Amino acid sequence: MRRRKGTYMIVYRCEDTLESVFTAIYQAYEEKRNHNDTYLSLTDDPMLFAEDIPVVADEEKTRKVMGTLRRRFGWEDSEKLCMALASEDEGKAQAVYRTVVQGLRGRCGRGHLFDNLADSQVYKAFALARGVSTEAGHQKQFLRFQELEGGMLYSRIGPKNDVMVFLMPHFADRLSIENFVIYDEKRNLFGIHPGQGRWYLLRGEEADRPAGLRFSDKELQYQELFRQFCHSITIEERRNRKLQAGMLPLRFREYMVEFQ
Amino acid sequence: MEYLKNPQDKAIEDKLQILTDAAKYDVACTSSGVDRPGDGKSIGSCVAAGICHSFSGDGRCISLLKILLTNECVYDCKYCRNRNSSDIPRATFTPEEVCTLTMEFYRRNYIEGLFLSSGIIGSPTFTMELIYRTVWLLRNRYRFNGYVHVKAIPGAAPEAIEQTGYLVDRMSVNLELPTAEGLRSLAPNKHRKSILTPMRQIQNGIQINRGDLVLYRNAPKFVGGGQSTQMIIGATPESDYQIINVAENLYRKFELKRVFYSAFVNVTGDKSLPALPGGPPLLREHRLYQADWLLRFYGFRAEELLDEKRPFFNVMLDPKEDWAVRHLERFPVEINRAPIEELLRVPGIGVKSARRIVAARRSGSLAFGDLKKIGVVLKRALYFITCNGRMMYPVKLDEDSIVRGLTSEKDRVQFGSDGMSYRQLSLFDDAAFTRPVTVQERQQAAVGQL
Repeated sequence: MRRRKGTYMIVYRCEDTLESVFTAIYQAYEEKRNHNDTYLSLTDDPMLFAEDIPVVADEEKTRKVMGTLRRRFGWEDSEKLCMALASEDEGKAQAVYRTVVQGLRGRCGRGHLFDNLADSQVYKAFALARGVSTEAGHQKQFLRFQELEGGMLYSRIGPKNDVMVFLMPHFADRLSIENFVIYDEKRNLFGIHPGQGRWYLLRGEEADRPAGLRFSDKELQYQELFRQFCHSITIEERRNRKLQAGMLPLRFREYMVEFQ
Repeated sequence: MEYLKNPQDKAIEDKLQILTDAAKYDVACTSSGVDRPGDGKSIGSCVAAGICHSFSGDGRCISLLKILLTNECVYDCKYCRNRNSSDIPRATFTPEEVCTLTMEFYRRNYIEGLFLSSGIIGSPTFTMELIYRTVWLLRNRYRFNGYVHVKAIPGAAPEAIEQTGYLVDRMSVNLELPTAEGLRSLAPNKHRKSILTPMRQIQNGIQINRGDLVLYRNAPKFVGGGQSTQMIIGATPESDYQIINVAENLYRKFELKRVFYSAFVNVTGDKSLPALPGGPPLLREHRLYQADWLLRFYGFRAEELLDEKRPFFNVMLDPKEDWAVRHLERFPVEINRAPIEELLRVPGIGVKSARRIVAARRSGSLAFGDLKKIGVVLKRALYFITCNGRMMYPVKLDEDSIVRGLTSEKDRVQFGSDGMSYRQLSLFDDAAFTRPVTVQERQQAAVGQL
């Protein structure tokens, strides 16, 4: 069903997943919407004089959108769009949608999707992607594993954005022979890596929250050694708490052994 | 007896404490320069940008397990805590202990790898061989694939340095003091020549290896992350001009990846060393690092920043601001047209924002609001740039008023809440006006001493 230009506003109601947003983008093109009057929303807030279309995530459509983004904008920029969608911001779907529209319309070359930072939506997608990438970087730095009985490594994190999917490849590559689990306590999400195997994600129920974990014999000794190491590496004459807090934001310290 | 149950545990804690304490003044400690994915059989990978895993109480990054193999030393350098005449507890790690610590810390994501230095035990060659044995064990027996940075010991046999080079990612030889005279007076056992020889050897090794890698893809890599060095700042009377000239030469002639500057901390109390009642010269160290970045990434040359007549950096302005106010004939720069080399010379514009400006202006002309989004620090840049021929607001282009603006920003220019507006100063805008009245002033007012 085609509509005349400018008659209606269309709002695609997506879920907070990458598949759902990409499916909505696919549909917006498939149904030949006027992109200036089309919005992607993650919430249920009603909009006046707008027609709501609920989106059902579709694997095939997601893959097609993914393929187009890769082909047109290059690997790096399509990765950035995915990162923007991992953000906690509610306007992320709209920002990514507008960035894609702007990029496809302007026929920008590969790696130039985010050149036009003067555009507010492009800038927003860029800033969201930067925020997620920074947090993923922070987690790679500050995440701590603890050895459980039986030698498995376990880590608990509480990131603002959903960065798990960007962490797992890094640690799976680095600790390829180890069994490890990263647990995101805010989303109840487990990243699981069996030694020598492929990693996968597991979304847990409320009852699945890990409790009563038992550490291995050596674990506490190494925690103590590292705490002592951090203490003795400090040069007293140069003490600078402000610099330390700038480099290592306080919210990470809850999860780090050297600050406990 | 409870405390004798596990005597080895106690020993390793003490050793770690002593040998970390002894290594902490070494600043040439980064985990960058090598991109090496895991190989699926061993533990570890390297990321070119480097990863800092924690930050200590002094704000410096902890990325590598930074320890000495031993703090016994036959040398007697006056600035060094581990000099043989100083009365401190001594300890020595066994290679196995170093390896176990590295592996266990690494698995838990505490560290990015190992930084191994050492006091001179026996002879330089013997020490270098000890380091080699430790790293060999770590790589081959413990199958560690992460980052390893070791010190090349000046005076060690070239063969010992070469075979170590094939196992590690980065090597460094400490220059210790910027000039040969300084070295002679404070480190009587070290000589400029013996320090530069291994540096040159590593440089040549890297060059030859680069050729080998072109021919044979799987040739073993020699010091893949390049070499670095460090200088102590403020122990001897060199000027900043001398120091950055030395640094520039090291970058040009020895192809170093990094030169580190270490503000001198007087730990030995030797009579030939300066007493520093104000603490270590941290601001000076900071200015040197800023200048170092200008040399490496911004296309500046040492003689542009300082000269014989002005041998020290300005305390109030950073080196780039300082250069800019002395070269006002080159400003203002037009954001929408200037080449990237000129943009890079504007205070407040960094390498990243310069690149973003060049990319963004292809799709449309940029205004000051866009620059803010791009990441330009407008409070520094506004004196030196125009957007479409206009400055952000009327600024007098003379040295004094710009310096005044740059140094006491918050007292002089009143910005709106979004940081973009400009309004006329009113009588009550003086920053000092909002200061609460002190008790003393109140008393003076009461007794009429205004």
